[in-house]
Amino acid sequence: MTSPQLEVRNLRKSYDDGRIEALRGVDLSIASGEYVAISGASGSGKSTLLQLLGGLDKPTSGEVLFENSLLGTAVDLDDYRAHRVGFIFQAFYLLPTLRAIENVQVPMLALNGDAGNRRERAEALLIEMGLENRLNQYPNELSAGERQRVAIARALANHPSILLADEPTGNLDSVNSARIIEMLVGIQKKRGMTLIVVTHENDIANAAPRHIRIRDGRIAS
Amino acid sequence: MASELSFTGFAWKNLWRRRLRTFLTLGGIAMAIGAFVALVGFSRSFEHEWQRLYSSSGTDIAVVDKSFINTSVDESLEGKLRAVPVVAQASPMIFNLIDLTPEVNALVFGWRADSYEFESLTFLSGRRYRNGAPEVLLGDVLAKTLDKKVGDTLTIQGSNFTVVGIFHGGTALEAGAVLMPMDQLQKLSNLQGKVSGYHVRLRPAPAGEAPEAYMKRAQAEIEAALPGLDAQPASERATNNQFVSLAHGVAWGTSSIALMMGILGIANTMAMSVFERTREIGVLRALGWKSRSVMLLIQVEAVVLGLVGGILGIGIGWGALHLLSTLPQTESIASASVSPMHLLEALGISILSGLMAGAIPAWRGAHLSPVEALRHD
Repeated sequence: MTSPQLEVRNLRKSYDDGRIEALRGVDLSIASGEYVAISGASGSGKSTLLQLLGGLDKPTSGEVLFENSLLGTAVDLDDYRAHRVGFIFQAFYLLPTLRAIENVQVPMLALNGDAGNRRERAEALLIEMGLENRLNQYPNELSAGERQRVAIARALANHPSILLADEPTGNLDSVNSARIIEMLVGIQKKRGMTLIVVTHENDIANAAPRHIRIRDGRIAS
Repeated sequence: MASELSFTGFAWKNLWRRRLRTFLTLGGIAMAIGAFVALVGFSRSFEHEWQRLYSSSGTDIAVVDKSFINTSVDESLEGKLRAVPVVAQASPMIFNLIDLTPEVNALVFGWRADSYEFESLTFLSGRRYRNGAPEVLLGDVLAKTLDKKVGDTLTIQGSNFTVVGIFHGGTALEAGAVLMPMDQLQKLSNLQGKVSGYHVRLRPAPAGEAPEAYMKRAQAEIEAALPGLDAQPASERATNNQFVSLAHGVAWGTSSIALMMGILGIANTMAMSVFERTREIGVLRALGWKSRSVMLLIQVEAVVLGLVGGILGIGIGWGALHLLSTLPQTESIASASVSPMHLLEALGISILSGLMAGAIPAWRGAHLSPVEALRHD
């Protein structure tokens, strides 16, 4: 049996001096190249789980392992976020002062690569997302669906092996929602990436090959 | 052509987002650097003119009182000074800064009519004054400012003096100065029997004695002959005289206050900017930016503010110096030229101001928790 790409052991996360327990002992293994949907009600802890898997936060107790190495100790969290994972957010979080192509270059700036290469890669990614005519638009000149496609291109900028999407269709209509999910699944298959999508939409969650339900900070099924 | 994003380009776009605030901040630091360039430049040109004043007259040593403000020395010590073997010529002198009109004040020098210091002056019209006579000589710039010519009367502190000559001196200080018999200025200043000091020309150094060693020996011999007095090399005296020291003190003091205000302006702008962009900083951290990259971005923004403000300030300061060099009140002591070193100093201070002002906001931005920052409204 191959070892998991991501492994979570007895993961707990609490806030407000322990008064709020977002996660209450989660164990989970995710293989490389897997597509996993995580669903649950608001406040169930699904976004907290995604943040810990993505190295955005540290657990109160328990462990997150990436390729058998402990996040935060054996693996530096900044390096992990820069090289291994790409984030997609519900509210897109594009930087308003930057054009679409500049937004995609932002993660690459963290790696100090050649400026020309950065621009070429950003352009290629946006063309792959079907935005070849929107390269120089600012976020406020793009539709919601286009903004999320720019955000996906940005998440892919540094060749991550894991794509983490937190309610990626939360601000989209049904047509754009379907298109974004189709696009994410296509990217996952084409690149052999691990895709973890947090969603409260049952249609999306049930369509994933693996569906994890979170309830009150624990895995329900 | 699609855009290429650079680190500094990103910083500039962040500043450009709040144009009005950025321009106001630039205005603050530009005024501060402008004050530095103008005031410190003014005081340095003042010092430079003093140095030229001494060097053009061939004075080697100035003998003055050891106290800082009161430099009055007994006129009767002249004989003892002349008796010191190294002294070739000794010229007692007195000087003062006097209002000639409500708008024009000028340096007034009192020399004896036979002072060696006349040798460096060129008479454009008239003649040298006579000791004991109510006569004055005017520098050419001052004569033009006051619209006086030979034969006119100049009233100084209620006393009338006849202009007997117009001269051109080697320095701006002389060009804007009044010369009068030493006894007349003593009377005007209520310092009968006193002088500001003595200017001394030394005999040539004996063969085999290094100039520095000779100067030191000359100082020691003069001070031994005149206990309580200070014999300073002329170049040192030009830097240390009370007018120059006060000008430097006022210039640096005022500039420092202005710079403090400018630094606080940048710090306030950067602190507000970091607060407003908390979520964006969270996004950067989520996208793999290290703390030090976020810190660098904010510091670059602060330094850009300091540097651009500094460049504007140099323009303002230079303009102010030009203006000072044309005003009747200051044309005799201000020079419109600014040394490259002074400009580099101003740019260095601009960059340092940006770094200092950006330090705390940068540290705060860099140490935000990514999750907390992403949750920020």
